[in-house]
Amino acid sequence: MTVIFIFILEILILVGYRLSVPSNYRLPFDSNLLCQSESPNFMFPSLHRHFFSLLRFPSQFFSTFFSSTFSTTLSMAEYQMLDDVDADDIPHAFLCCVCLDLLHKPIVLSCGHISCFWCVHKSMNGFRESHCPICRRPYYHFPTICEILHQLIVKIYPTAYKRREAQILEEEKKIGYFSPQFDSLACGSQAGMKVEHLEDSANGELNTNTKNGDAIAELILEENSDVVSSTSVVSLNSLQDPCAQKTQKQEKISVADVLCQACTQLLFRPVVINCGHVFCESCINSQVETLECQVCQSLQPRGFPNVCLELDQFLKEQFPEEYSIRRDSVQLEQANSIKHDNPTSCSIEEGKKGQYLPRWGDVASKVHSAVGCDSCGMFPLIGDRYKCKDCLEEVGFDLCGDCYNTRSKRPGRFNQQHRPEHRFHLVHPPMFRNMRLGVVTEMLEEGSTTFIIANGEGSDSSDNIGAILEFSSDARESDEDDSDVDGRTQINSSDDRTDQNYSEPS
Amino acid sequence: MIDFARVQKELQECTKDIEASGIRVTPKSDSLSHLLGTIPGPISTPYEGGTFQIDITLPDGYPFEPPKMQFATKVWHPNISSQSGAICLDILKDQWSPALTLKTALLSVQALLSAPQPDDPQDAVVAQQYLRDYQTFAGTARYWTETFAKTSSLGVEEKVQKLMEMGFPEAQVRSSLEAVGWDENLALEKLCSG
Repeated sequence: MTVIFIFILEILILVGYRLSVPSNYRLPFDSNLLCQSESPNFMFPSLHRHFFSLLRFPSQFFSTFFSSTFSTTLSMAEYQMLDDVDADDIPHAFLCCVCLDLLHKPIVLSCGHISCFWCVHKSMNGFRESHCPICRRPYYHFPTICEILHQLIVKIYPTAYKRREAQILEEEKKIGYFSPQFDSLACGSQAGMKVEHLEDSANGELNTNTKNGDAIAELILEENSDVVSSTSVVSLNSLQDPCAQKTQKQEKISVADVLCQACTQLLFRPVVINCGHVFCESCINSQVETLECQVCQSLQPRGFPNVCLELDQFLKEQFPEEYSIRRDSVQLEQANSIKHDNPTSCSIEEGKKGQYLPRWGDVASKVHSAVGCDSCGMFPLIGDRYKCKDCLEEVGFDLCGDCYNTRSKRPGRFNQQHRPEHRFHLVHPPMFRNMRLGVVTEMLEEGSTTFIIANGEGSDSSDNIGAILEFSSDARESDEDDSDVDGRTQINSSDDRTDQNYSEPS
Repeated sequence: MIDFARVQKELQECTKDIEASGIRVTPKSDSLSHLLGTIPGPISTPYEGGTFQIDITLPDGYPFEPPKMQFATKVWHPNISSQSGAICLDILKDQWSPALTLKTALLSVQALLSAPQPDDPQDAVVAQQYLRDYQTFAGTARYWTETFAKTSSLGVEEKVQKLMEMGFPEAQVRSSLEAVGWDENLALEKLCSG
């Protein structure tokens, strides 16, 4: 009886904690994020007001009833009109499966499914692995926003995107956490990409199928060597491309917007990796143990990602000629090459990083619940956690042991103004919480309840409930008084402990 | 707070293909956090011909937490409590995904009606009957459908609901509806005249 009671208590504390944990990477169930200011009243007017006015002021009843009914239908019609424009314009591929609206700062999960930045973040589990909302494939890392897809959406649906941007900004202001300020970043990288692109074409690697895109990029760079603005792309594209007059959509986007960052040709069977960079499936070396991004050199955690089929379908429809040329050339390449391996999309083999992810409920492992690594995106962060002392944003800046040791220079997952010279300190997860997590997991896995008593936490006195609760809140605050480490030299001493928890990769 | 923009989109989506799916979701109050789902009983089951009402309460975390669903209509089914109407369905609990919607969840409930899982029962009595004596089970389920889930009884509840939404107390609504022979317009007149 006591054992059952303690078990229930543990679960209650766990659930309570889940809702109250102070997060600097935000909890997935933070309800504030979902805040919507729109009142649904206009859609379902409460009629009783009018009937009461009929009883009290019969003469005024009809005027108020009809005027308000009229205004109600007007606003509803306006709303529907606005919505219909959106619904008609946005194909299924660009609708987020979670918020059912236009994708905002899209993230492509390793399974190839797309969702908004906040939708992915909110649906992640702060305590264990998360699952794709569509296919339930487990994942452990919060991927970076896909820049190419983001730019594509901004170009195709400027008005709808502005509406989304304003709506999300409002929500972000309410919660105090902000998604990455992406537009400036994207502009810079796009311009950079085009410079690389020009270099490639200058090297004589011009392929017939990308001639069009190359020519455009070249022209743009000749005319405007600074930042490539989308307007110049539009005007030039409409001049160059004979098919551009067909629809408005085709005027806006060109092959240059959807190039593989490795082969600088039109993306064919695009794969989006954890860092948000996009490559053709055939451009990714499936033979290596750990996939490394060819742009930012970051490692892909846990195996190879799937092809983003929605984007692939879009490219197929948007650029049918270029796409078929690309398909033929890739197929030819594959036929010529000696290896006849299966496509990478089918392999779910574990990457190097995934191999030494400790067991989730392991008492010895250091799980930092609801905290994520800002470089590789591991969420929740497991192992050593280095917290930036100089980042003042509420969301904070954290690195996992691996990313700290490789001196990752990548910007934060949110809009942190983190700089390389910032100092870090090592933060330990509260041990008590992990023991408790361990207990619950053990019990769920093995169906044994004796584990609690073995841990010495079991007690039948109700006084101890308060003690446990108090302890858990103390444990939470232990983050603060942990050993501050100013320089990297001192941290090395604590690295030994990391090795104890992380078994050496075989 | 609930993502009301999404709930509104879901309602619109649901209204669009009401003909095909037969699934209806209507708000119970102005707040949109209490809804009423209606599903037709699946064909060639004991529930055929019935219209089942499901109370839907959206938690604050919706759509990241599953909606709370409960049968408002009495149902004789191994996975639905014959007392409270509680539903035993994994996607309404730990298998929920934010990509699911009210409509897909209601479709799953409808599928549950046609494919009971007596090994994982919500109502042990019904489950035992289902396993031991299927004929009696089917008979009871059909009788309950006839008694509680036929449109006539639904109509009454809808009328009561409608008048209550106008701000009249339930007891008064019921008595006046009864007095005028369940004609909602006459009842409204009666209620307005005092």
